[in-house]
Amino acid sequence: MSPVVDAHGHVGGWADFFVPEPDSAWLVDVNAEIGIDVVGISHLVAVGRDTVAGNELALAEAGRHPGRVGVWLVADPHLPDAVALLRDQLDHPGVWGLKLHPDTHLCAATDPRYRPLLELAAAAGVPVLSHGQTGSPYSDPADLAELARRHPTLPILVGHAGLWQEGFDRAARLAAAQPNLYLEICGSRLTTRWLERLVAVAGADRVLFGTDACFLDPRLGLGKVRLAQLSDADRALVLGGNAARLLGRRLIIASQETP
Amino acid sequence: MRIFDAHRLLGSVPGDHVPSVDVAGMLAELDRLGIDGAAVTPSHGLYGDPAHEHAAGAGHERLTTVPVILPAVPGAGWPDEPGVVVESAPAMVRACPVRHRFALTGPVALRWWHELAAAGIPLALDAHETGLDRVGSVVAAVPRLRVLVLSPGYRCLRELAELLDVHPGVYAETGTLAAAGAVEWLARRCGAHRLVFGTGAPVWDDAGPRFQLEHLRLPDADVELIAAGSFAALSRGESS
Repeated sequence: MSPVVDAHGHVGGWADFFVPEPDSAWLVDVNAEIGIDVVGISHLVAVGRDTVAGNELALAEAGRHPGRVGVWLVADPHLPDAVALLRDQLDHPGVWGLKLHPDTHLCAATDPRYRPLLELAAAAGVPVLSHGQTGSPYSDPADLAELARRHPTLPILVGHAGLWQEGFDRAARLAAAQPNLYLEICGSRLTTRWLERLVAVAGADRVLFGTDACFLDPRLGLGKVRLAQLSDADRALVLGGNAARLLGRRLIIASQETP
Repeated sequence: MRIFDAHRLLGSVPGDHVPSVDVAGMLAELDRLGIDGAAVTPSHGLYGDPAHEHAAGAGHERLTTVPVILPAVPGAGWPDEPGVVVESAPAMVRACPVRHRFALTGPVALRWWHELAAAGIPLALDAHETGLDRVGSVVAAVPRLRVLVLSPGYRCLRELAELLDVHPGVYAETGTLAAAGAVEWLARRCGAHRLVFGTGAPVWDDAGPRFQLEHLRLPDADVELIAAGSFAALSRGESS
């Protein structure tokens, strides 16, 4: 049976608004109830203000929940020694790859300051998940497609598939045209109708399930994929088959380990 | 468990091609998701000009029409008088003060809200359009008016909880309460009888909220209230 892999999650509180359930314990518990095997998180401390401390918090969460929580290490383009720090952390069990937050870090994804971080990911053979936001000067899907062209061996995941409905079709066409560009689908604006269109245009092998927990409730994200009008084969790819292929041996799933 | 979606649009919507462009398409969507019935707003009442375009009801036993009304000086809104609304006794009405540019707490509208409140007809306001502050202003001015807050979103839970605390006539739609655990948090704080299952489909997602309904970490009685009971009580004029 194909795994169910949430490719885009978080834990921690957030200054901009109240999150009732910010902790990993709740997330892991709910995921087990609804059938999400594992979630890749970046800690919101790392996203928001302190990349170094936040990445350590995320690694600790993966240690507390092995095979239930994976880690996207947040890559900060402003941090002078980021490459050295991340190189060491990439070896930790449960680390999936790097996470870019160009809008939060006020640095366009195509900015040269991201280049050494992307080269690190390519050398380590790990994918990069970036916040993606149609129309943003920092993370428009077209800019993430440009990154994918610059780094053709590096899988780049467009977070939220570009976030806004008016950009979904273009994001899907960008992914269809660039073999190492993928669409990760979490976000409150995506509907099953748009998910079905993303799969039709980009291909089921290019679309990855994500929930944006704990910003968003994982039950909402999973429901969209479970109830979308997709073939069983396509649904399995979206829910976890693609993530398993991209993450390879880095994907550890507790529910599939031999006792 | 009966499941009733208190917020759907019937008809075409700008920027998309949707199955619920007609009643048959709407019913097919409800069937696909296992939803028994829905309160539907004709989309041309929302995106068109209510002063000049008036729809017939949805005309199906599973669908409850929620007309868009526009309180304004005679000739600039619809209908001319709130008594027309009261006489037609809809389960709920919807108003769009920002989209249709009328004063939600101006003298004309306030007279309407007092009449609707006296008749027990609830008002639906889309918080994504109006903001929660306007909702607070209207229920402060007309405390007996019962208001269903559509699309409250997940970023204003503190304000929404305070609004529910202070004004017992305010109810909240659940579909966009998307933050992790938000539905349970509000149910425990304010009571499940204040929460109404609704999605805002086809503009907003319906599948996620429908799936979530099956997996809420609440007592069955609370889930049944959210799924249909709270809206039934709201539309019957029962106080919370």
